[in-house]
Parts: sequence; C-alpha cells; structure tokens
Amino acid sequence: MQIARRDFLRTAAALAGLPLLAGCHQVLGWGLPVEVMRPGMAEGHRLRDTTRLPSPRSTRQVDTVIVGSGAAGLFAGWQLVREGYRDFVVLNGPEPDGNAAAGAFGEWRYPTGAHYLPLPSSESAHVRALLVEMGVIESGGDSLRPRFDERVLVHAPDERLWRDGQWQDGLLPRGLGPDDNAQQQRFFQHVRQLQQQRGIDGRRVFTVPAALASQDPAWRALDRQSFASWLAAQGYTAPGLMWYLDYCCRDDYGSTLAHTSAWAGLHYFAARGGHAANAEDGAVLTWPDGLNPVLRHMRGRIGAERQLDGAAWRVQPQGRQVQVDYVDAHGAQRLLARRVIMTTPLHVAWHLLPHMASLGFEHQQLPPRAPWLVGNVLLERFPAEPPQQPLAWDNVVYGSRSLGYVVATHQLIRTALPERTVFTTYHAFADADPMASRQSLAAASTDSLFEQAMTDLYTVYGPRLRRHMLAARLTVRAHAMASPQPGFLSNPGLAALRAVDGPILFAHSDLSGLSLFEEASWWGSVAARKILG
Amino acid sequence: MRDRLLILSVFVVASCGLAYELITGALASYLLGDSVLQFSSIIGCYLFAMGVGSHLSQYVKDERVLDTFVEIELLVGLIGGLSASVLFAVFAWTGESFRLTLYALVFVIGVLVGMEIPLVMRALNQREARFAELVSRVLTFDYLGALAVSLLFPLVLAPKLGLARSALLFGLSNAAVAVWTCRVFRHELLRPAVQYLRSLVVVMVLGSGFMVSDMLTHWNEKAIYGDEVIHAETTPYQRLVLTRWKNDMRLYINGNLQFSSRDEHRYHEALVHPVLGALPWARQVLILGGGDGLAAREVLKYPNVQHITLVDLDPAMTTLFRTSAPLVALNGGSLNNPRLNVVNQDAARWLEQHDAEFDAIIVDFPDPSNFALGKLYSVPMYRLLSRHLADNGLAVVQSTSPYHAPRSFWSINATLQAAGLMTTPYHAYVPSFGEWGFILAAHHPGYIPPQHYQVPLKFLDREATRQMFFFPPDMQPWKMQPNELNNQLLVHYFEQDWSQVIR
Repeated sequence: MQIARRDFLRTAAALAGLPLLAGCHQVLGWGLPVEVMRPGMAEGHRLRDTTRLPSPRSTRQVDTVIVGSGAAGLFAGWQLVREGYRDFVVLNGPEPDGNAAAGAFGEWRYPTGAHYLPLPSSESAHVRALLVEMGVIESGGDSLRPRFDERVLVHAPDERLWRDGQWQDGLLPRGLGPDDNAQQQRFFQHVRQLQQQRGIDGRRVFTVPAALASQDPAWRALDRQSFASWLAAQGYTAPGLMWYLDYCCRDDYGSTLAHTSAWAGLHYFAARGGHAANAEDGAVLTWPDGLNPVLRHMRGRIGAERQLDGAAWRVQPQGRQVQVDYVDAHGAQRLLARRVIMTTPLHVAWHLLPHMASLGFEHQQLPPRAPWLVGNVLLERFPAEPPQQPLAWDNVVYGSRSLGYVVATHQLIRTALPERTVFTTYHAFADADPMASRQSLAAASTDSLFEQAMTDLYTVYGPRLRRHMLAARLTVRAHAMASPQPGFLSNPGLAALRAVDGPILFAHSDLSGLSLFEEASWWGSVAARKILG
Repeated sequence: MRDRLLILSVFVVASCGLAYELITGALASYLLGDSVLQFSSIIGCYLFAMGVGSHLSQYVKDERVLDTFVEIELLVGLIGGLSASVLFAVFAWTGESFRLTLYALVFVIGVLVGMEIPLVMRALNQREARFAELVSRVLTFDYLGALAVSLLFPLVLAPKLGLARSALLFGLSNAAVAVWTCRVFRHELLRPAVQYLRSLVVVMVLGSGFMVSDMLTHWNEKAIYGDEVIHAETTPYQRLVLTRWKNDMRLYINGNLQFSSRDEHRYHEALVHPVLGALPWARQVLILGGGDGLAAREVLKYPNVQHITLVDLDPAMTTLFRTSAPLVALNGGSLNNPRLNVVNQDAARWLEQHDAEFDAIIVDFPDPSNFALGKLYSVPMYRLLSRHLADNGLAVVQSTSPYHAPRSFWSINATLQAAGLMTTPYHAYVPSFGEWGFILAAHHPGYIPPQHYQVPLKFLDREATRQMFFFPPDMQPWKMQPNELNNQLLVHYFEQDWSQVIR
C-alpha cells in the first residue's frame, strides 16, 4: 500500500512536470525529440563481421581512388585538382567529412565533431594555402602574421569557466591560491621556452605537423613516459593546473594525463605557434558548423562528379592495378585504379586491406581509439546568463568530466540575439577502458546518452533549460580518435605506413597519432605529392 | 435574517475572491507580458491553492468556525487588498523577486479564499438548514458574485480605479463582511471584542491605503519611468514602454530612452539631412533600425527619394508606430507611406542576404552596450554596408556621444575607416541625450556639408549645420583602435566611457 502510494505520487509529480525526483533528467527528456546518430557503425561492423562478399555489378577504370572523405581524403583531392590532376574519384564512405562533419536543425547549423582550427603556424603551409584560397587568410599567407577574415576569427568573449556557481574569463582556473597561480605561471613559462626549443638537428622540437618536428632522441625520449609522471617529476601538483591540463588532454586526445604521452601533452601547448596580424596568439578559426566549411570548400573544388557515394568493403592489388570494391545504393560496384589512397582510420583500413600485414603493420600496432559523444540541442531561446558574465563561444565546467559546450550561433552578426541557437556539448570517454566504453555505448539507451550529453548544461543552467529545448541530436563516435599513449611516436607499424610508396598509399591523422586537421591534411598532401610524382 | 446575511456575505466573498485572481493576472500580464501564460498560470495556482484551503478547512474546530471565518476575512482583506500595491512596488524597486512574490501572494490568497465557502457552509449547517437547500443557495450566490465581478472589473473598476485601488476596494469589502459578521453574531463568537478591534485596524489600514494609493502608484511608476505609462508591451525581442507627461511622449526600449517627442526632431534632422541634403539625386534609401518611422519622416520630405527600405527586427514596434494615433501624428504616418517598404528582419542578416545598392544608408542601431550589439559596429559589418552603398552614395551611423563617450565614438570612426570608408564625424546637441554623435561615410573623400536645405526643418540651417561639423577644443578626436570582432574593444570602451558619466 505504501509503495503503491509512493508510485502514484511519483507518477503524479512526473505528470505535473515537477522536477522533484532524483535522476529526473530522464523525466526531463520526455517529449523531446532526441535522435541518436552512430555514423559508420552499421557499415563498419558489417565490414568486420561479413565473410561472404557480393560480386560487383559494374567496373570503372580510374587513375586514382581516394577511399574516404574526411580531412585527409578531401585534402588529397583538393591538392590534386589544384595541381591540374583530375583523373581520380573520392569514395565518400559511410562517414562523409569524418570528424569534421556537421548537421543542421533547419537553418541552424552545428558541428557533430571538431569545432575549430587553430591559427596555422608557418610549418602548416599546406593549411595556409587552403585558407588563402578560401579567403579566410586575406593577406600575408606566407608571412609570420597573416591577416585573417574577422568573421572567422572567434569573436569575443571566446572562453569562460564555470566554477563555484559563477563564470570566470578564460579556461585556466583562477583564484585557487598562490601555489596554484605560481605553478600555472611556471608551467606556461616552461611551455614558452619549449615553443622556441630546437633539437640537435636544428628543427623545432614541437611542430604541427608533427612530421616536421626534430628527431633529436633526447627530446623524443619524452614519449617514453606519461604526461602525468612528467608533471609529477617537474613538481607540478596544484589541483587547478592539473585539472586544466587533464581537461586539455581529454579535449584534444580523448585521454587522461596518465594515459597521454608526455611528448603529446607538451605538443598541445608548445606546437601551436600560429600568429595573426589581427588577433592574439592562441586565437582560433571557427564557423557555426565547426570547421565543416573548410571541407565543403574542398568538396566544391574537387567537384561533385569526382565524388562517389558508397562504402568500400575490399581493396586489393590485382595485377598491376588495385581493385576497390564498394557498395552503394544500387549494390556492389568495382573501381580499378593505378593507385589508391587509403584515408580511412587505420582500424577500418585493416579490414579493407587483407594484406596490410605485408606492408609492415601488425594488428596490435593500431593506436587505441577514444570514444566520444557529441550532443547538439536546439534551443528556442538563449538561456539567461548572469549579469556581466555573457555567454562565450566555449563554456567549460571546472571539475566536470565532460568538456563543456560551444555555441553554434556565436559567430553570427545580428542586431538582436538570434531567435534560436544550438549548443554543442562534448564528452570524451577518457576515464574508462575504450573497449568497455564502446560496449556500454552500444547498449546505452537514448535517455542515458541524453543525460550524459546534457551533464554540463544542467550543471550550469539547471533542469529549467529543458523548457527551452526543441530537439536534440546525439552523435556517438565510438572510435573517434587515436589517443597518443606513451610510446606512440616510436610505433614501427605507423612508420612503415608513412613510408609506403607503392600502388596503395595511406593518409590519415592516425599516421601521426594526433587527431588534428593539420595532421590529417598533411598526410593528404604527402599522398597527393606521391601521386603527382 | 442571520442566515440570509451569511448568504449575502457569500456573494461578497465570492466577488472578492475572483477579483484578486483577475487583478493579479492583469498585473502580471501588464508587467511581464504574454497575457495568456500569465493568466493561465495564475488561475491555475489560485484554484489549486483554493483546493488546499478547502482541504485545510476541515481542521477548524466546530466551535471556532465563525471566529475563524472572521479572521480569514480580515486576512484576505488585508493581503488581497494590498496585493496589487505590494506587487507594483516589488516590481518597481527590486524587479528580481517579482515572480516569486507574485505566486506566493496568489497562493496565500487562494488558500484563504478556499477556506471561506466551506466555513460558511459549516456555519449554516450548524444552524440546521436543509443540506440540499444550503448547498444550492451558497453555490448560487458564489457564482453570482463571480459573474458580477467578472463584468464589473474590466468595464468599470480597472479603467476607473486602476488595479491598486480596485484591490483595496475589494479588501475593504472583505473587511466589511468581517465587521458585519462580528456585529450580527457577537453572541456566538468566542472573542467578539478582539475580532472587532482587529477589524477596525484592518479597515483603517486599507482605508488609508485607498487614500494614498494614487500617490503610491505614481511613486512606483515614477520609480520605473518617471512618467505615466501609456503603452507597455513585451515582444519576443524587447520591452517597449511609451510614457507621456504633458506634451512629452517618450519611448523606452528595455528601459533605455529612445526618444523624447520634445527634441527628437534634433536627433533625426541631424541623422538624416547631412546625408540627404547633400544628395539631391538620391532615389533609393535604406534605413536600418529606426522602426519608430521618425528618420523615415525626415527622408520622405525629399521628393527625389523614390523608395525607402526600412529594416527593423520587431514587427510589434513598426505596427505600434503605424497604428497608434499619437505616434502616427508624431512620425507623420511615414510607415504607411507608399514610398516606404517595411521589412521585419534582422538588419545584419538582411544585408547578408540581399545585394541591392542604395544612394543613402541610415544606420540607427542600439548603442554597443554588449558583445552582441558590438558586432554591429565592426569592420565586417561596415564592409557589408559599403557593398550596399552606391559609388557616390553616403551612409550615416549613429555613433554614441563624442562628449560623454569619446573612446566609443572615435573607435567607431576608426572602424569605419578600417573598412575602407572615408569618414566625416559630426555632432548635435539633443537635450534629452546630451551631446550626440554621428559619422558620415562614403567611398570617396570630398564630402561637403549642405549649405542650405530645400525642405522645411526645425533645427538645422546653414549656421547650425556648420557648427555640427566643428569640434570644439573639449571634443577633439581621440586616437582609438578599430573594433575587431575577436576582441570587441568597443564594448570595453563603451563601458569605460559610461561608467565615468553615470553615477
């Protein structure tokens, strides 16, 4: 009787919309259209599990096939077209635009993956060339400080941090005591030295792309320890600084301090040497839909006629040619090419290429991949912000295991706040074993994914934010990015794939082990140069 | 006789009960906007609270029924009577806890009102009236009272007395019922003297409240706007409040003064005529912002202008200035002129999406007081603007005050120059704003201010125009940085400037 009555009260409270119950986020999700996207999951698992292959209905001859259309694949295609080479096709694959994909609620666009591009340093000349062509770099593309289109430079206020119920400017926690302040200063002093640091070969120790970095073994030895143990050895212990560094590793690499190579951890801070004539160092480039417009631009140059929809299921040499079998809406198809650029993640390439081991790459050399959850929610209006603490582009919660949220409408220029907005939340599953996280993600209900994705938003705005939500789309990226664990720099399998120059080439940020646009496009560019001879 | 009296008090009590609900609902929709939401939520809260009251009434002991009834009448009278005045004061002076106070008051009044009818029925039941007859009589008068007030309130009381005094009047009625009950049933009450005394105090409080309520309302409204509010409306974009004091009409948007009808001609003549007076060939004119139609009124004085496109976000604003008689009188019906086309869209977005060219562009955006508005004063925005400006055309931008906000004013000037435009800054004295600034922009140098005007003007002539373009020693140019979107210096300048002006 008691229980029945409690049940009745619970139902009544839920029906009245009263947020009274613990774990009420599921109740809050009621009535909200929530879609869950799992890009590439069905195709990827079919690839892994299928043994019987359909026979192709058609065969087409082409000089080069680019398998995959993420940053690496499209960059390779873009560069080929720029050099006047046109006899190629891009096979879009099940995840067009890869981690730089975007979506839209009607006219409101948002990212479903990466959401910005740092100012490219002078080593990233390939990225600068692309930005010059797009008009994002207005002048000085070859200079130390190019001038960027202001509409694309992130607008002020760019970042804020939620701590103890209020916002502070920037993401570095302040006001945590003199020790924390002193350690923060010491760390950034340290990083500034490392930015200029050169190895015995005269090259900078930390660069983007990482391929241009110094090979000095004394510096590369940093890769043998974790970032956590390096920090401990250097006497960095302050909780504020440690939280911030851990946040950065999860944000860029999907891994915690303890599972990130010290070289990679320092690379995040020391390699980004980009400057702008009209912005401070550390500024970033962003669009409402993240960095998807960069990929759209490359697609535009490549031309729709050179882009095929369809997912590859087998790539193998056939005499002097390479045979690419794929499936599209009409069934199985075949491409015969002189050369193929594999721009899929390496764990996908492993299933596509039966002979990958013969190229010097072993299965256990696949880098661990961090799962991510990206949540996009359409809001019917902007939630109220405290006075003097306006909404920033990137909003992070101190102490949270999630990565905060970015505001898709931040770069719009309007006389009044746009009538709607989209908030994009990010969560990297860095705290558990990636395999276990993937299994629980595969089984997770929409409600629990929604709750996970909304954690930081509810911390900041409280459950009342639900009232402003019109729709939500959750993107599960179970194999989102390679995490640079200690030892990743000396992975012999990756070195073998980087050096390959046969009929089959590889191009993906996995080759660097750092999931960055500059790395992906670098390998795209290297592959294109090999094609062009 | 005594029973009939009780039944009559049901009528009064029911009237008062509905009245408080209507008054708080009206007040909430008047102050917060969205009347459907306000009325629905207040009625819901009130009815629910009445249910709670009815539930609680069972705990009143039989021998205390009449005493409790008197006490409740006094409490309802006191709280309900003062409710509107209190809410108005809370809104005027604190603003933040308004909703909380509103619903708390509605709930408390609802609980008390919910106890009234059950108590009366029990009192009558104790007198051994027949139950069927009793229920029928009580509820008949209950609903009759509701009908009376629902007609009386909107038709007579609200327009004649206003909300605050209507509430006080109903409070007095509740107190009257208490006094009356004390008198008639003095032998049945447990403590008649105490109840009498209490009634007296409540009647005095409400009575004096009634006397001074005019003063109170005035004082509260003054606290908000200083003058009598003749129109208030909350749109999805902003809150529009129109006030009048004698012949001075003022428009406030989100509490900021937009114009005063006494001197708006100075602002709008200064905004429009240095541009239009120098462009006798101008045919196509674009006005961004300016939904009050006052700048358009000045532009329409030029017969050579064939077409005006006015882009203002808020349809409520342009509708108000198209339909309200005193406002149409003020803008000369400019928004209804066939030469003018109103586009209700975000001006920045409209510029992005269209590519028409204009001979004159008049930009009357809100001040750059926050990051969102600061973007309207940026290089990309001005580049966009210059793409819509004919080769020999002129644009003008309202640019805050060169006297009170020199950093902001000269930063806007630097921003226009950074966008590749030739600028000519000028200023005019507008009494309700102070010294105000404008910046003229063109593709080519060589702008010369008009020497005479072909159209009738109140403020500008040759000498007044010459003075506008002269910057005296205390208003010399400052060397400022242009406003870039990634740092929005202008927003910081603006804060800095006005923090030194406003005490």
